[in-house]
Amino acid sequence: MVSICFYFQVHQPFRLKKYSIFDIGHNSNYFDDNKNAEVMRKVAQKCYLPTNKVLLDLIRQHQGKFRVSFSISGVVLDQFTLFAPEVLHSFRELAKTGCVEFLDETYYHSLSYLYDKEEFKEQVLLHRQKIKDLFGQEPKVFRNTELVFNNELANFVQGMGFYKAIVAEGADHILGWRSPNFLYTPKTADNMKLLLKNYKLSDDIAFRFSNKGWAEHPLTVEKYGRWVNAANGNGNVINLFMDYETFGEHQWEDTGIFDFLRHLPSEILRHPDNDFVTVSEAAEKYNPVSELDMHNFISWADIERDLSAWLGNPMQDSAARELFALGRMIRETGDEKLIDDWRKLTTSDHLYYMCTKWFSDGDVHKYFNPYDTPYEGFIAFMNVLNDLKIRAKEVMQSQGRVESPILAQTPISRVLSEAPGSSMVLK
Amino acid sequence: MKVLMLGWEFPPFFAGGVGMVCYHLTRALCQQGTEVTYVMPFGPRMLRSDYMKILIADNIFPAMRFKLHEISSLLGVYSTPGSYEEDYRKYLASLPSDKRAKALYGPNIFQEVHMFAEKVKLIAQFEDFDVIHAHDHWTFPAAIAAKKASGKPMIVHVHITEFDKTGGAGVDQRVYDMEREGMHAADLVIVVSNRIKNQLVHHYGVPEGKIRVVYNAAEPADHNAYHDASKIKETDKIVLFVGRVTLQKGPDYFVEAARKVLDYDPNVKFILAGTGDMLPRMIERVAQLGMANKFIFPGFVSREEVSKLNKIADCFVMPSVSEPFGIVPLEAMAQDTPAIISKQSGVSEVLNHVLKVDFWDVNDIANKILAVLHYQALNHQLKQHGSLEVRSMTWDTPAHKCIEVYDELLRMKQGG
Repeated sequence: MVSICFYFQVHQPFRLKKYSIFDIGHNSNYFDDNKNAEVMRKVAQKCYLPTNKVLLDLIRQHQGKFRVSFSISGVVLDQFTLFAPEVLHSFRELAKTGCVEFLDETYYHSLSYLYDKEEFKEQVLLHRQKIKDLFGQEPKVFRNTELVFNNELANFVQGMGFYKAIVAEGADHILGWRSPNFLYTPKTADNMKLLLKNYKLSDDIAFRFSNKGWAEHPLTVEKYGRWVNAANGNGNVINLFMDYETFGEHQWEDTGIFDFLRHLPSEILRHPDNDFVTVSEAAEKYNPVSELDMHNFISWADIERDLSAWLGNPMQDSAARELFALGRMIRETGDEKLIDDWRKLTTSDHLYYMCTKWFSDGDVHKYFNPYDTPYEGFIAFMNVLNDLKIRAKEVMQSQGRVESPILAQTPISRVLSEAPGSSMVLK
Repeated sequence: MKVLMLGWEFPPFFAGGVGMVCYHLTRALCQQGTEVTYVMPFGPRMLRSDYMKILIADNIFPAMRFKLHEISSLLGVYSTPGSYEEDYRKYLASLPSDKRAKALYGPNIFQEVHMFAEKVKLIAQFEDFDVIHAHDHWTFPAAIAAKKASGKPMIVHVHITEFDKTGGAGVDQRVYDMEREGMHAADLVIVVSNRIKNQLVHHYGVPEGKIRVVYNAAEPADHNAYHDASKIKETDKIVLFVGRVTLQKGPDYFVEAARKVLDYDPNVKFILAGTGDMLPRMIERVAQLGMANKFIFPGFVSREEVSKLNKIADCFVMPSVSEPFGIVPLEAMAQDTPAIISKQSGVSEVLNHVLKVDFWDVNDIANKILAVLHYQALNHQLKQHGSLEVRSMTWDTPAHKCIEVYDELLRMKQGG
């Protein structure tokens, strides 16, 4: 018996404007609505709408035997509402079939777990509420941003009480000789089941599908079916985790990716031992084969499978540090707009744009980067953060609160308060 | 492989960057086994090189044959016919009257170009070489003459065009014609950036397939450069511009951006180093904007002084309106100084670890200057990655690319 477990990640960040130092104190519209709308409409046409249609047809065709899972960030759900409501509608259609499961993640697709656990919890709860409101489901499975995971996180998530399973990357340096095609238990979370991505079979679709230099190109459903069947007898579940944008956006329609998807389920189901499961169904059906000890953080990014796409260079570290240092204070103001703006900055993509490891992973990073260089990404982000600090200061003053020393820390805000014309800025 | 290379200048007798490029390029070529004979129009009799043969046309064919008198040249690649005539008049006026009569050196730059061509034609008949490689336009007629005399293939190497120097306005038709004739007579054309390549295709009608891009490299930095700027740095950070103060280099955008920076951060000093026809106007504008105490105008600076300035600066800015390549930011980066460069420069095609701006966008220039001065993490990353990036840009790469072009040319000739 081998089960196929598809989980698709759906996410788009609120990209920032090219926000200049001269905007600080004058302009609190940080996000590039035109660009975000343009990207959303493009991806909706190329990926979300056609792929949702294919999935809906497959679910109907296979009468409950084809099942998938999604994790959809809160910020992309917001952008559906703003820029492409028809996409939201098509996801709700999928939800109604009963064959689609939605996972929980942080609403803002953030790395808040690493800096501010209280904030992390709040973002997960916000997401949970959103999924309930939109799709009528109470997620039983958690996935953290970019599959960032370790023992401690598993324990923390278990403590939240909602989840019976969690998904993570099947990183070689963790698994060693072990197979990702079994369930495991995280060392510090006895009641949680851990599903690990089969990165080889996942990336065959997500990254290599259209690569003409790949020995297996072109990838047919027959060939892929054989690889899946080969796991029969030495595995329970093949976890195919990938960005949903794989379909039609990363792999364009003319590569044949939609035809592949259309014909894959019947090919897989030709073998009587095979079936499709959602993540929580896999967790119910199978028992963990052993405990896994993951002390250090892993993720699904780049060849390193660690945090180095988002953190590690001084720009990323200082941006993240300064951003998360404001958390408690911003939350305490209770100012909804301010809190929402700050939380949108916690989206991990902003840190990803500042990544300087160009030399081996550069192509992927560049493709997803709206800025010409990581330096531009950092400058825009820090300028916005400085404006946000000024706003926070104003709100706190108006509430008669004692000003936090954090607000006085950045050189730019100090300079602003001393510069001519700054009285206009800091009333 | 034997190369007959033609240039107007060679250090220490040079007027601009092309002479330095010739020096580094020929040295790396010779290290890679290429024999170079370098021919230039004027120079002292004693000019020698330890790795190649240098021929000074004027010394080989002295005055009597060409009815010329030996004098130092007023010519640099960046001379425009207008400024040359003016320099020539000044030069004549400076001579004692008895010598003035003898200095029949041709007040017209084109006459000198023609003379050089005649001499090179003769040199080409007794020198042994496989290809002709000519740098920038004043040597192009000489290259054509050498090609005719020897039947050897010819490459022209374009470092700058008349369009860059004039910003597109007031292109001298005679210069343009000389450039164009050389490019079309050449078997292959080497350019220093895609930017120049596009100009050649669009403004000079050169077929794209004939052009090869060979980027320049960085000059080794002087790591001993030292200047005590502690008094300035006690209070102020330093933002630096180095270059000719002419339309092409965009000094006016530097000045306008400075005003915006100072509105936000008064603790900055700006150094505008170099001379040129726009300098008086820049000084006036700085005063008008109330920044006289914030600006330093050192005038012409030697290479050694440039190294010192780069060393003490906190941020280097090259806001060029049009820059065929633009080697100056490389030295700043080699001295661990973050650089902001215009996207309208050839060097922006190769550099990753700099901040890039449109030259006209003074808001963005100021934004980025302030970011470099105040965001420590940014400053640190630009320094660290920038100096590594520049260190990897050695002259071996362009020399190797030139050799590939020579080989390609000889294959073409043998095949055809």
